[in-house]
Amino acid sequence: MNIAWKEIKKNKAKFIILGSIIFLVSFLTFIISGLANGLSQDNAALIKDLPDGQFYMNVDANETYNLSRIDESVQTTVLNEQKDAAALSIQMGFVNDMEDKQHSIAFVTSTDSKSFESVGKGEVILDRSLEEEGIKVGDILTNNQFSGEFKVKGFVDQKKYSHAPVAFINMENYKEIYRVNEMQLIFVPGTEKAQVVTSLQSFSNKEFLNTIPSYSAEQMSLNMIIWFLVAISGMLFAIFFYMMNVQKIGLYGILKALGVKTSRLFGMMWYQMIFITVIALGLSVALSHGFALIAPKGMPFSLTLDTTVQLSIVFLIIGFIGATLSGLQIKKVEPLQAIQQGEV
Amino acid sequence: MTIFTIDEVTKTFTNGEVDEQVLKGINISLREGEITALVGASGSGKSTILTIAAGLQRATDGKVLFEGKNMTDMNQDQIRKIRASEFGFVFQSSHLVPFLTVEEQLLLMLDVSETKLKKREQQVEVEKILKLVDMDHRKDAYPASLSGGEKQRVAIARAIIHKPKMLFADEPTASLDSKRSKDVMTLIRELTKTLNITTLMVTHDEDMLTYADHIITMKDGLVLT
Repeated sequence: MNIAWKEIKKNKAKFIILGSIIFLVSFLTFIISGLANGLSQDNAALIKDLPDGQFYMNVDANETYNLSRIDESVQTTVLNEQKDAAALSIQMGFVNDMEDKQHSIAFVTSTDSKSFESVGKGEVILDRSLEEEGIKVGDILTNNQFSGEFKVKGFVDQKKYSHAPVAFINMENYKEIYRVNEMQLIFVPGTEKAQVVTSLQSFSNKEFLNTIPSYSAEQMSLNMIIWFLVAISGMLFAIFFYMMNVQKIGLYGILKALGVKTSRLFGMMWYQMIFITVIALGLSVALSHGFALIAPKGMPFSLTLDTTVQLSIVFLIIGFIGATLSGLQIKKVEPLQAIQQGEV
Repeated sequence: MTIFTIDEVTKTFTNGEVDEQVLKGINISLREGEITALVGASGSGKSTILTIAAGLQRATDGKVLFEGKNMTDMNQDQIRKIRASEFGFVFQSSHLVPFLTVEEQLLLMLDVSETKLKKREQQVEVEKILKLVDMDHRKDAYPASLSGGEKQRVAIARAIIHKPKMLFADEPTASLDSKRSKDVMTLIRELTKTLNITTLMVTHDEDMLTYADHIITMKDGLVLT
């Protein structure tokens, strides 16, 4: 007989309340996680969506790509040796649209490469978020540092950097705007170990992301919030299961007196814990993904099924540990004590 | 034939630095199918000897023999198995499981006793016992909706559904009025005689002694008669 299920059926309100708490806490965690991922994408989708590889910047740049200037001869040597490699630069800037409205963007330029958009002189390819701001293919954009004009050639999805949409421009135009001749970075795609290049320092994609000051600070804070939420949820689960078990001490004692095995009582507790947690988490996952569909377009929100499943597994493990720790009282329950305490 | 023997059992409780001996060498033999009543003033040790006999607590010294096997030498799980399959309990309070219906209380006991009966046979057995205790009309009721007497009748049904060899009853009529008490005792007597169950019962109520085959009087941790 499944006594765990019988109890749930009879005490629906109690289990719904417990399930609601698990649902609310996990839903909050998923939403915060979605915002953290969204902000992360908003901050560095340009880098995050690149294939695995190595970034190189000048050793003297002190791990700050803005300060990096790669010598042209070094760049030529590396690009000749690695056929998929690209030299690139990223700089924050502005463009004015045809109505003279200013848009904050991140200018990106690179040598010919599959990893970055190639554009001709006087052309620009923009992140699609600018299309939503009213810019269309064929529009003319200007920049006060640039003598010519940019004609919008097209849009690309999910190309953001430092919370700004990316604008891919030709290298000659970039050099004119920023009055530089050297590129800041070299990107070499591939999973092989980084090659040692004299005067250059190598970074994996992840390491490179962490050299972006705003990115690491932002992600650290958000991740801290998520893991605090997970830890607090764990404690909440443990407290609630503890309260539930304390209320049932008398019942456990009577069942033990009748000859029910302690392992069966643990099984009963685990069944209830898993039942409530799985339903609450299932609802949470569904609603948080539903929220992703209705979230305002401008809101940086990105929640993958992988993230919610991973967090759900963490919640299940925490719930299991919390329930088991609080359930240790079951082992200590003396049937005689329960009998002497009267009706359960 | 003797089925249950309590042999020189002592029990000492330690309260801080003070040792209090509540049982001072108890000897009792119970014959198959008979009802033995333990009587005595409060603190005489009658409930303690009953719970030791029922395997709910351990004796400090002495032997408790059930069908010749010494329960004091057994581990917790062996005692649990005996409690589940060979013993039945009726307490002062009914101690029914609040979220199970009357029928489910009995099915749970059959389940715990690891009965070999098939589902259908279990159902038949439950119906039979509920008829015996005149509770078949309340089989779908939860304990909260039963009266004190009804609860105690369900508790008795639960105690005997798995056909135990021993029934331990600790003041089974204490929470009932005199009419209900007589009904319950008549029921216990009828059932134990019909099913050949050996019963050890603690009671304060002298009126209940008429239902017993033997009466053992206890005083200050010793058997007087």
